[in-house]
Amino acid sequence: MNFTNPTSWMWAALAIPIVIFYILKIRLRRVPVSTVMFWHQIFEEKQPRSIWQKLRHLLSLLLQLAFLMLLTIALTDPFFDWEIREVRRLVVVVDNSGSMRALVDDEDTRLDEAKDETLAIIDSLRPRDEMAIVAAGTQPRVVCGLTGHQRTLKDALGTIDVTDGPTRIKEAIELTRRLISDHENGKAVIVSDGSFENSEELVQADDIVWLPIGEESDNIAITQFQVRRSLVDPVGYQILVEVRNFADEPAETRLELELAGNVVDVIPLKLEADGRWFQVFEKTSPDGGELLAKLEAEDTLPMDNVARAILPERKKQPVLLVSEGNVFLERVFQACPLVEMAFRNDPPSKVPAGGVVAYHKKIPNPLPDGDLIIVQPENATDLWNIGDTIENPIVAKQDKDSPLMSFVRLDNVLMPEARRLTIKGEHAVLAQSLTDDPIYMSIERPNGRVVVLTVNLDQGDLPLRTAFPIMVSNALSWFARNQGELRESFATGAVAEIDLNDQLPASLLGSESLELELHSPDGRKRPLALRNGTTTIGPLDRCGLWRVAYRDFTVTVPDKEEPPLVMVDEVACNLTNPDESDLRPAIEPPEDAETLAAGLGGRPVWFYLIVLAFCLIGTEWFLYQRRFIS
Amino acid sequence: MSKIFDSDFLNKLEYLSLISRRVFRGQLMAQRRTMQLGGGIEFADHREYTPGDDFRYLDWNLYARHDELLLKRFQEEEDLHVYILLDCSHSMEFGKPAKFDLARQVAAALSYIALADLDRVAVVAFADRVIQDFPLMRGKARILSLMKFLEDLKPTGSATNLTELVTSFIHRPQRRGLAVVISDLYDPNGFQRGLDILRHHRYEPNVIQLYDPAESEPGFLGDIELQDIESGNIRKLTVTEKNIKEYKQIFENFLESVRNYCSSYGSSCTVSHTQIPFDELLLGMIRQAGTVR
Repeated sequence: MNFTNPTSWMWAALAIPIVIFYILKIRLRRVPVSTVMFWHQIFEEKQPRSIWQKLRHLLSLLLQLAFLMLLTIALTDPFFDWEIREVRRLVVVVDNSGSMRALVDDEDTRLDEAKDETLAIIDSLRPRDEMAIVAAGTQPRVVCGLTGHQRTLKDALGTIDVTDGPTRIKEAIELTRRLISDHENGKAVIVSDGSFENSEELVQADDIVWLPIGEESDNIAITQFQVRRSLVDPVGYQILVEVRNFADEPAETRLELELAGNVVDVIPLKLEADGRWFQVFEKTSPDGGELLAKLEAEDTLPMDNVARAILPERKKQPVLLVSEGNVFLERVFQACPLVEMAFRNDPPSKVPAGGVVAYHKKIPNPLPDGDLIIVQPENATDLWNIGDTIENPIVAKQDKDSPLMSFVRLDNVLMPEARRLTIKGEHAVLAQSLTDDPIYMSIERPNGRVVVLTVNLDQGDLPLRTAFPIMVSNALSWFARNQGELRESFATGAVAEIDLNDQLPASLLGSESLELELHSPDGRKRPLALRNGTTTIGPLDRCGLWRVAYRDFTVTVPDKEEPPLVMVDEVACNLTNPDESDLRPAIEPPEDAETLAAGLGGRPVWFYLIVLAFCLIGTEWFLYQRRFIS
Repeated sequence: MSKIFDSDFLNKLEYLSLISRRVFRGQLMAQRRTMQLGGGIEFADHREYTPGDDFRYLDWNLYARHDELLLKRFQEEEDLHVYILLDCSHSMEFGKPAKFDLARQVAAALSYIALADLDRVAVVAFADRVIQDFPLMRGKARILSLMKFLEDLKPTGSATNLTELVTSFIHRPQRRGLAVVISDLYDPNGFQRGLDILRHHRYEPNVIQLYDPAESEPGFLGDIELQDIESGNIRKLTVTEKNIKEYKQIFENFLESVRNYCSSYGSSCTVSHTQIPFDELLLGMIRQAGTVR
């Protein structure tokens, strides 16, 4: 036996005062009484046993000295050689991914079961063993570093909360191996349900012990859910849904789609065993908001029966037509469902905010700020010089990649006349004639966008072609800057970069006083950093709507300490992870589970010495001191 | 002014005297009518006239009606002799305050009440024998000398021996009367025999037993040397909770035996601990006596 702290032997010197006090103690306290006649009656009946009477004080001294010696030895922290040879280093990886939310009974989840297993490992730790805990959900992290202190480990284990994210088992195992380092008796213990990729391969690793959690359970899940605005229809949108049946039996369910609380569609589904159902829905609505997909399924993992997406709202676009009268232009704008139409004969002093001004023939010089549609210009402006007319221009080349020319073909359109323009600055030619004269072009100015169509609408058949309303619709969409065409719904665990240039007030962009916050669906918040108008959020560890917001310090609300919260953007996050939703076991119980069990109850020698010491002092108290306590 | 007989004590004495008169209306201790007929004022009966009788006591009304010479007889009033037997053994100096102090205050107070009622009072200080005497006296004026006597008393002698005291006490040439025993009654030979002798010689024993709370509830445990302050004997003991419990039971039985003795022979008995002031103790006695009558 060896001693960690041999200097503690000096505490044995306390035996000297104990012996001195013992000698002093046997000189009895003298108590005067008025009469001893009553005491005689008690003690004359019971004569003390002489041997015990003689030895009792000596035995008391011996018990006290034994108590002191046991304490002294405990302070020296004795240990055996085998303790050093067999010391272990365990790193327990606790899976707290979304699949661990699955219920194993009415109350407990798979994570609760995993914690119970881990607690058993902690309780079995031997003295000098070290253990660390790593959480493997969404983002692997060391919950508790290497320590042998069981209370610390248990407290740290209690802080592990289940996430909705995927199991990052590879990263967790890498982290684990770094913690184990080259320790001779190092072992990684994975406490997981195995709902992740390549679980069977990882089971084969020699340095890993698997503790499988949970039992086989059927599950139906939404594995994909996205929505986007239609590229063709200004008020249309498309929904992508994938539903999978993770069971060995066929299943029936119903999929319900809701937009901002209103039912959009209900689809009955029949899914084969291990079946997959996939569909894209075309719907129309100018409204935006939260699009919710719900499965009517009662399984052990309700989380993946719901998915969310954000549908951008289509806002009305004010259009002011400045013309002496052109029925084609009037009708084409009125045909657009999102246009709020107005007419004027004379040019306005300024362009309405967020709107578009369409000038026909007479163009103000210089051009006003804002988004402009110029049709059939007859005079020069600050952006172009006017030239002569082009007779019978035939469109020979058009920019197919430009969003302004989507679904537009002008090569067969009869256009008897157009105006030749010489653009002064940078511009994009969308359509040009055989003579390389631009007929349709776009100009991006710092103070607004401009689209110029030089064709004479009064002649030719362009206004009668389907291309004409499409051109106008494309132009209006271009002016609207196509915001939110696709607001991607992220899978849990994802890290996303969000552009906030258009959502944040210009005065706040780059301002140091801007305090951007990310609010999770479960109410947590964390600060966000803004760089060049973009911010990075994630890893997203909860399903639901994540909100980006800032505090408006320019407004003070009475009776409130914090300024009001201004929401900037929303991001939908769903599990949509087939590996997490598949609750059927992927790994078998390990055969070497007994290696985790440690002997002797996991207590050091000093602990047993102290227990023995207190047993002795308890005996001494029972025999000698108890009667002094009334 | 002494410590035990201060001005407050004297005020309380007067108060107690008034209370006792109110309660007994002239029937306490003295002012008792004896069976002896004589020169009192209260009519008793008639007897025939014999030559030589005093003519003043002839009942002339009866002679006029019945023509018989009958002599009126009157009941003679007699003062009571009160003997206070005060225990001065060392056991009486035990406690805080000492039992002896309270015993002397009670003795003084009783004496004052008796003297105020025109009775005669004597005090006998005893331990294993008679230590000191204060002879019979009469009149309130003697109370100061009595208090001086009590104040000068010191605990002395060895263990209490009530039998020895009573034996010498009854052989004194004196009238019978009230014998008030103020003691803790820690007589190794038993208190009963002494009181029996008193009763047999037509004394009327009254017992005032005093004890200290520390005697009824010992506050020590463990290994100790028990020292008897009367005898000086030392005994090594290991006192346990169980022993304490047994002790309390024995002590309670002892107090109960005193009460039972007095009750069975119709004697007055007052058992009190030293935390009760003397005036409360006496008031209790007066009330008890008033109720009994």
